[in-house]
Order: sequence, then C-alpha cells, then structure tokens
Amino acid sequence: MGWHGYLAVWCGVLGAVALVGYGRSLAGMTRAQRAVRVPGRIEQVRVPRNGGSRRGGIPVVVSYREPSSGARVVVTNDGEHGEQGETITAAWTGREIGVCYPRGRPHDYRFTADPQAGGRGLGLPNTALFLLYAGLVVAAAVDRGWPWALIGVCGPWALVGVCYLPGNVRDTRHRRERLASMIAAEGRIVAVLRDVTTDAEGSTSTTVTPVVAFTTREGAAVTAHCDAGVPDPADSYGRHLTVHYPADDPAGFVLDHAAQQRSVRSDIAVNVVFLVLVAAAAVTGVLLL
Amino acid sequence: MTTATVAPPTGAAPLDLARGFLTGGVIGASLAAFVVGCTLGRVPLIVAGPALLAAYALLFRLAGAPRRAREGALAPLTALALIDGREMRTVAETDVPVRFDLTVAPDLAPAFRIRITQDVHVSELSNHRPGTVLVVRYPPDRPWLLRIVRRPTPEWEDRAAGAVLEPASGPVVVADRPDGCAWSLTTLLGVLLGAAAVVLLMRAELFGRDTDTPAARPVTSSSTSTSTFSVTATVTSSTTGTVAFGPGRSVLDRGVLREAVESLTGGGGGDGRQALTVVVREQLLTVVFAPDGVSAPAFDPRSLPFDRVPALVEEARTTLGVDAPRTWQLSAERLAGALTIRIGVAGAGGSASLEADGLGTVVRRSPAR
Repeated sequence: MGWHGYLAVWCGVLGAVALVGYGRSLAGMTRAQRAVRVPGRIEQVRVPRNGGSRRGGIPVVVSYREPSSGARVVVTNDGEHGEQGETITAAWTGREIGVCYPRGRPHDYRFTADPQAGGRGLGLPNTALFLLYAGLVVAAAVDRGWPWALIGVCGPWALVGVCYLPGNVRDTRHRRERLASMIAAEGRIVAVLRDVTTDAEGSTSTTVTPVVAFTTREGAAVTAHCDAGVPDPADSYGRHLTVHYPADDPAGFVLDHAAQQRSVRSDIAVNVVFLVLVAAAAVTGVLLL
Repeated sequence: MTTATVAPPTGAAPLDLARGFLTGGVIGASLAAFVVGCTLGRVPLIVAGPALLAAYALLFRLAGAPRRAREGALAPLTALALIDGREMRTVAETDVPVRFDLTVAPDLAPAFRIRITQDVHVSELSNHRPGTVLVVRYPPDRPWLLRIVRRPTPEWEDRAAGAVLEPASGPVVVADRPDGCAWSLTTLLGVLLGAAAVVLLMRAELFGRDTDTPAARPVTSSSTSTSTFSVTATVTSSTTGTVAFGPGRSVLDRGVLREAVESLTGGGGGDGRQALTVVVREQLLTVVFAPDGVSAPAFDPRSLPFDRVPALVEEARTTLGVDAPRTWQLSAERLAGALTIRIGVAGAGGSASLEADGLGTVVRRSPAR
C-alpha cells in the first residue's frame, strides 16, 4: 500500500468519525445536548482567605430548582464538583449562572457562566474534519507542489476572515461603546491568592491572584479574581483602585480602562492587515501554480 | 458509638494486574513499532504503532463504559467526620499532602475509621487540626474514595460546627491501594515486553542495518549472492554491476547515485570503465559495462548529470499526466550517438516518459495517453 493508500485510510476513518459525530449532533444525542441545564442563582459569596488558593474560583453557594421534582437544591463549587465546568471568577449575590449535569446524575453538576449556554457536542467531529482536510492539503502539496499548501491553508482562512470581518467590526465597535459607557467604582484588593506548583522536573511556578471587591450602583457586592491589570500583585493586599464595569454585567469589569480603550482602537486594523496577509499568501499560491 | 467494619479497597486483583500488563504491552509495542518504523523507513510500522494504540484505547473505553455508568449513577454520601490524627510532609508546593485518620459518622449507618491522603492548601491547614469535625463525601459502595469537602453547603457547615463526635474504635480502613506498586511493576513489565517483542520480530532488519551502517557507502564485492538483510548490496561481475539500496536510503538522495556509480567504476579519478547502459529502477542501480575488445557506443557512467536526476524523476512523476505514479525507471545509453537519458513512469493512469540529453536538459516528453 503506497502512501496514497494510507491517506485514503486516514481520510476514511476521520470522515467516518466526523459523519457519526454530526449525525449524533443532528439527532440530539451528544452528551452536551442530553445534559440537563437549569438556571441557578448565587445565594452567598464567601470572600477568599488572604493567602488562600485560587483553585475552584470564588467560593459561592448556588441554588437551583430541580426540573422534575421542583425541589430547591443548594450546591457549592467545592473543588470536586462545579469545577469541571467554568470556574466562577466573578460573583455577587443574585448573579444568575447555569447549572448543568448529565441526565439522571444531578450530583455530577458543573457551572456555566451563561445560563442559556449549551454546546452541540461538535468538538470531536469538527476536529476530525479539520484533520481530514489537513491530510488532503498535505497530499495536494506533495503531489502537485508546495503552492497547494499555501492555497489549502490560507485560502479557507481568508474566506473565513472575509465572512467574519463584518461581525468582528461590529463586535469591536460594540466593545468600544461598552468601554466608553463603563461605570467607575472604587474597589479594594481583599485577598491575594497564592498557588505554588512544581513540575516533573522539580521547577516551581507561583501564581499570584489578587481578589478585588467593589460595589455596583445597584448595590451588588462583587468579588472577583484579577488575572491582569494589578501592578505588583504580590503586594497588592488592601490596595484601593478604580474598577470600570459595564452596567449590564459587572463580571466584565476592567482595571486598566485606558489601556483597554487604546487596544480596542487598533483591533479593526489588526484584523484587516491579517486578512490581507492571508489572502495575499493564498493568491501567491495560485500564481505559483 | 456504634462502629462498623468497612471492607478495605481490594488490592490489585489478578484481573487488574492482567489488564495493566496488557495495557503496558500495547503501549510498549506501539511505541517500539513507531520507533522501529521510523528507523527502518517502514511506513506500515509507523502507521501500525499509533493505530494499535488508538484501537486499544477505544476498546478499553468501550469496555469500561458500563462500569463507569453504573458507578456514576450512584449519588455520593455526605457525612460528618472527626479528624483523629494527621501527618503531613513538607513540600515546596502550597498544596500539602496530608494523611488523615478519620472517624466517619454517616447519618444512617454505623461509624467507621478510615485513613486517607488528600492535598490541603497550606492556608487551610489550620482548619484541619486533630479533633476538628468536618464534612466528607464518598461513594457508598467505595468508601475508600472518601474526600474532605472543601466548601460544604451552609446546612452541612452548620451541622459540622455544632457536632460533637467521639473517635470510633475498630480497625482503620487504609484507603491507599496496598498493591499499587505491584500494578505499576506489572504495567512496566508489560511495556518492556511489548517493546522487546517488536524489536525481536524486526531483529533481522534492525541488526542487519546496524551491521551495515558503518559501511554506509556501497561495498564492492565479487560475490554473486546478496543478503536480504543488508541495507546496501553490491554485486559485480566482469560485464555488469548492481547496487541494491535498502530501506532508509533513497537513490534520489543527494550524492547517493554518484557514489554508487563510482563504487562500480573504480573511483572518481582516472579513466573509468565505459558503460553500455545504466539503469536505475527505484532502489536498484545496474550498469552494463562494455566488454573489452568490443567497439560499441559506450560512455563513462560518471559523466551522467547526477545532480539533475532527482529533478528529472520528479518532473516525470508530476508533469506527464500519470495519476498516482507507482514506479519509475531511468535508463541511460548512447545508442544514437549522443548520451540519452530516458525516464519512464508508470501508475494507475498509464505510463509516460521523458528524454533528456547528457546535461540533463529535457528534450522530449511523451505524456500519458
């Protein structure tokens, strides 16, 4: 069997995986689609201890109504459960979050930041399709010359970029307006979390996470991890700072408001330049054929 | 306090050991097949290694699915527990492994004692002193998987704050698998044996290659027999010379063809032997020398444009319209006066050929019809 035979096997196996995956998704049989999703509410936020761990996110108590019985269920993100989904890094009493669990196994719950969010379980078939396409591009590049690699890689990328460009421009404008309309509030670093880990070779790595607390105009007391925007984070405990947050979602707060505004101005230009470069590479491939 | 004896975790049962051995064997064989395949340039082996591993992983997952579903459907039990004692090690990390001796007091079952090891963040160690009551959770059918709940619900937090528990008597269940070491050793043995099996099966080609590797250049021999194990075999007689290239060495690699021809003609300097025909087919070079005293149109095989050969072969494979070219052949001769190099390609889409002159310039193309 020549290498074309192996390529055929590669494409056949991946094509079968993709077909089965898309079929399951269309039939609503993927694990993500069969999961039970219910809206939950944060009932209590516990301020992390200074020097504690960021593992598990902000400690919260969440309640939700069990759909079949209507009973109110109270759960926490205790590190074993609720952590497999999205880590809650910004919390306030009354915040709505999603609770999701496999059918018949409510004890195996996890949280999602968006209560309405629900995947279609297309990760595996999409990956299989991508690998199948990559195999075809490699085959074309080997059989018919390297310009096919340029066309195969950059062509679809440029097409996707063109399709998404209007949406990207809209999103960037929306982000710009959102940044401009953010409300300023005074915040304070109420804890600095510290996690030290060692890898297999014995070298240690330290993660320092300041925790900021601020109160919105509506009176919601927000507690959140700060992954960026706090200078000298290790010594930031007790520091006061200005927090800017969108009125509709305090979880989208920023600490470096001016820097974010500067960055968003160049986003469209970066998108366009990138698109032009990719399209030029694809056209170069066509010309070199 | 009423106490109960809880069955300790079963150690590595023979079935577990067999499963570990099999898994190790498959991993070892797959890795060895991949490495040996890369070493020998054998594509089937390179593909078979990862394919075997993927197929085994899929089977393993499918076989374990019913058990996982059965265990996953069972809701864990939450209970209060008293820390009877603890031991910890000093580590550089902030998560400290702590060995706890606990008295677990389930609501509807007798208390039992258990010893577990769990990582606790250094900032929370003060909450886990001996005598403290805390909340634990475990699968009812496998209490040795018990974990301390870091963030209990308010209801359980209040219960733990107000509870007074007495240490239970009775044997301590040790949660750590006692035969974990045996399982690891069996798996390691499987890895080694799996890898050894593949190497043993391929020993002929591997060792043959090793033997020939120092003599990477073709060795001229007057023997007329060839070894199927050798990477490169050279056979010469008074009128013909043949060089067979083994796997891992392509005749199209830079300098290989020139080196092989020179090995047959007696080195690069001086007057070499004149050849009537030079034929290269895939991994085989054959030179037909002009017998002494015969005045036939011959040429010096060292004058072939060796550097152009790979490009000419590639051009013939890709530009003459042969779909999926499978094999090719180069022949050089001086029948019509000037040196002519002909490269033929055959594949699923028929055959085609091109002709080049002594400098390697294409002079005629015969595309596939």
